[in-house]
Amino acid sequence: MKIHIPKEEHMGPGHLACAGCGSPLGLRLALKALGEETVIVIPASCMSIIVGPFPYSAIGVPIVHVAFETAACSASGIRASLDMQGDRKTTVVAWAGDGGTFDIGIQALSGAAERNDDFIYICSDNEAYMNTGIQRSSATPYLAWTTTTPVGNPKERPKKDMMAIMADHGIPYAAAACVAYPEDFIGKLKKAKGIKGTRFIHLLTPCPAGWRIASNESIKVARLAVETKVFPLYEIEGGEVHTITYQPKGTPVEAYLSQQGRFRHLTKEEVATIQENVDRRWDRLVKRCEGRAN
Amino acid sequence: MAGKIIYHRESEMPFSPVSSGDMSWNRTGTWRYIRPKYEDKTPPCNAACPAGVDIPMFIGLVGEGRYEEAWNVIREESPFPGVCGRVCFHPCESHCNRADYDEVMAINALERFVADQAPPLEPGSPIRGRREERVAVVGSGPSGLSCAYHLARMGYQVTVFEALPKPGGILRVGIPSYRLPKDILDKEIADIQACGVEIKTNARLGGDLSFKDLEEYEAVFLATGAHVSRKLNIPGEDLEGVGSGLDLLRDINLGKAVHVGRKVAVIGGGNTALDAARAVLRLGGNPLILYRRSREEMPAFDEEVSEALEEGIEIRYLIGPTEIIGLNGRVTQLECIKMELGGEDETGRRRPVPIPQSNFTLEVDTLIVAAGEEPNLTFLPEDIRVEAKMVSTDKGARTSRKEVFAGGDMAHLDRTVAHAIGFGKRAAISIDCVIRKRGVTSVLQGIRVGENGTLSMAKYLSEIARRRSPHVVAFEELNLDYFEHAERNERAKLPVPERVTDFREVSTGLTEQEALREAVRCFSCGVCDGCENCYIFCPDLSVITDEGVVKYRINYDYCKGCGICIAECPRNALSVEKEAK
Ligand SMILES: Cc1cc2nc3c(=O)[nH]c(=O)nc-3n(C[C@H](O)[C@H](O)[C@H](O)COP(=O)(O)OP(=O)(O)OC[C@H]3O[C@@H](n4cnc5c(N)ncnc54)[C@H](O)[C@@H]3O)c2cc1C
Ligand SMILES: Cc1ncc(C[n+]2csc(CCOP(=O)(O)OP(=O)(O)O)c2C)c(N)n1
Ligand code: SF4
Ligand code: SF4
Ligand code: SF4
Ligand SMILES: [Mg+2]
Repeated sequence: MKIHIPKEEHMGPGHLACAGCGSPLGLRLALKALGEETVIVIPASCMSIIVGPFPYSAIGVPIVHVAFETAACSASGIRASLDMQGDRKTTVVAWAGDGGTFDIGIQALSGAAERNDDFIYICSDNEAYMNTGIQRSSATPYLAWTTTTPVGNPKERPKKDMMAIMADHGIPYAAAACVAYPEDFIGKLKKAKGIKGTRFIHLLTPCPAGWRIASNESIKVARLAVETKVFPLYEIEGGEVHTITYQPKGTPVEAYLSQQGRFRHLTKEEVATIQENVDRRWDRLVKRCEGRAN
Repeated sequence: MAGKIIYHRESEMPFSPVSSGDMSWNRTGTWRYIRPKYEDKTPPCNAACPAGVDIPMFIGLVGEGRYEEAWNVIREESPFPGVCGRVCFHPCESHCNRADYDEVMAINALERFVADQAPPLEPGSPIRGRREERVAVVGSGPSGLSCAYHLARMGYQVTVFEALPKPGGILRVGIPSYRLPKDILDKEIADIQACGVEIKTNARLGGDLSFKDLEEYEAVFLATGAHVSRKLNIPGEDLEGVGSGLDLLRDINLGKAVHVGRKVAVIGGGNTALDAARAVLRLGGNPLILYRRSREEMPAFDEEVSEALEEGIEIRYLIGPTEIIGLNGRVTQLECIKMELGGEDETGRRRPVPIPQSNFTLEVDTLIVAAGEEPNLTFLPEDIRVEAKMVSTDKGARTSRKEVFAGGDMAHLDRTVAHAIGFGKRAAISIDCVIRKRGVTSVLQGIRVGENGTLSMAKYLSEIARRRSPHVVAFEELNLDYFEHAERNERAKLPVPERVTDFREVSTGLTEQEALREAVRCFSCGVCDGCENCYIFCPDLSVITDEGVVKYRINYDYCKGCGICIAECPRNALSVEKEAK
């Protein structure tokens, strides 16, 4: 299959991401989808560094750098100020990491979502606090290695279901996307742009350093996350209507886990448990798509 | 692009910190320790095609509905897309990487589809320049015509001399029209003539035409084929009702009235035997094929064997003739003996050994001998060396006489139409090199496609053509994430009762929908098809899309060498190099 993406480019080279990082790719694709009339709010995270230091910026739209926990409330404020100026054309986007979203930023995000403030919130999820050296977050997968969950001291809690939490705020649109599926991601952003209210995009962005993979494997591994159903691509409209947007192949999770150093310590039994968890959650998602609550 | 921004004093800085420069000053290319580069490689199908057709290139164009361009891509290498799209034994398909995924590409059917869409060429079809040198080609089979065509396209004045009243060689007088309709052959020969080739029929070298007559030519290419039927060397071969398969096919193909009996035995297991039997069936006879080895050793192409079986033709294996018995000078019976397979012979096949006392007789009223063909070399002057009943040539198709070249069935044991076309092309290149005083060996080396002797005329003629590394892409080197399983689209065939009543074409070709569906199945192994994955996934905006021959370039000022472009290229059209320290 051939992938089609818009040719317009609002990002330039020379940015500071590690080789093979999924985040700048995600931002580049997002800007292709959203266009020039966009403001990006970036709280503390790898992306704060990647886009470049003052007085430089690797992207062609305004960035507002904000404190770690304030992505959503800053976006709310910028939206309010644009509204007061009568600017309804500019799209306000918050671009935060998983730590900045699942953990420290959840208060501001939940408040904004409850008010249905009008912005797109993109959580670029690399499944740990990467910028400070791979500490676990509540987005870190069950049993994954991080520097704060070393081998022998595993993370025994599952990844937080942020999509469900956001959808249950009753927001108009929530979608899970992945940089290995650019067309799907861009399609979701274009759809989100046409909706008013809080729109949440959960974007999986591979991190070669933190996932312990080679730089050339990041797209391959991100793709496997989707194909194994570990990270399904779907959307939830109006907090209720679930739709799977890409039918995964259902590759065994082992193929995904064994590619990554952060899962290298897993036993056969642990892999089997992860497979069961993935299957169970997939079934739940399918039931929700069919409109059967569970 | 903004360079460095320097504030000399605080008052120059903006009141609030607003960035005004981009990051282009930051040459992240210095981070790189591996270097990606665009490098098309050799597709296995292309390497396996003796005629050297650039398969993914033409199939890609079919997929875009650009049929005439696809046709021109094939014609760059071979003047016979319509012929090969019907009778080629398609070794390309046996090497297609898609076999390891689902089913091989229907390359042969697509080639035919392309040819069937093509308009006739206008006379005076464009050639590259004009040269005054004249070249003679003897024999108008696929080998001779391929050589003549390629030379004419290079601008030479080429005359083909053909002994028979019609041109085409085995395509004309061997292969029956149920496999290769004569109008298809006529069209492609007319196209060759439109490129400036002159064909003189009824001109037999060694008859009215002599080697002396050819001395006025700069070079001579001999391609007279292998038309002498091997004898069985058993008693009774001169009885009435006994004849050779090749004679029978020639008479049928030239429209002569032929009479075959009811009970017809055909001896042999090659294409001639199969075609003779199938022709007999269409003339109302009841053919029985006798072959002295087993199905495995049979030299006829699989497809032809299975079509013959579909048509109800019986093939008996491990049977050898011992005597032809006649009454009043006419054949009535054939005595045979059963065989078993012994050790390997010089061809690597197992040798048939008669089983003592297993003789039996068959009632026959016609016996067709098709036990192989040899070249007739009696017209050759003595200084042209012959070895093992074939003209011996060097890698550049040159005989022991300097200005005389040879190819096709008369010089090789690879006796197929595609090989004949390839040998003709090789000779054309070699002749051009000799005339223009270029080193043949190094030229041939530089235009190889894979290691089987396939050559690329596109490479020979064009300096700008994107170079391909000789590395043949293996299935394991593809990134299958971007392909989907899809069924092979195969040509339909006429139902048996319809096809055996006359000589109409058995295979009906692909519909346009089928061709389009089939074309998009091709992986385009090793050959960039512009899918843009490298551009799409580069996190560092370092893939630059260009128009022209080279579609993509890497911006080494910024490429960090992550290798994603290489990994996500579905077809291995990028390679990795170590970064120079
Ligand atoms: C019955 C049959 C069926 C076949 N089917 C297939 C098939 O389906 N697919 C496939 O790939 N291959 C097939 N082959 C093999 C293929 O046809 C040959 O390998 C190929 O035609 C060889 O080409 P050529 O140009 O060397 O010789 P030819 O095609 O034999 O042409 C030689 C030409 O030279 C002419 N000639 C001979 N002597 C002289 C002379 N002294 N002066 C002037 N002209 C002369 C002949 O009349 C003839 O026209 C088949 C062969 C036979 C016999
Ligand atoms: C209040 C506060 N605490 C801690 C930090 C240090 N800090 C900067 S970035 C970061 C990690 C961010 O992780 P995540 O949000 O997942 O983004 P990533 O870097 O992984 O993209 C931390 C802890 C901070 N800047 N502010
Ligand atoms: S998939 Fe296409 S390019 Fe690859 S071997 Fe088959 S026909 Fe050739
Ligand atoms: S994807 Fe981009 S940065 Fe990575 S190796 Fe290729 S050109 Fe360089
Ligand atoms: S990824 Fe696509 S566009 Fe890039 S080199 Fe490979 S085939 Fe060509
Ligand atoms: Mg993170």
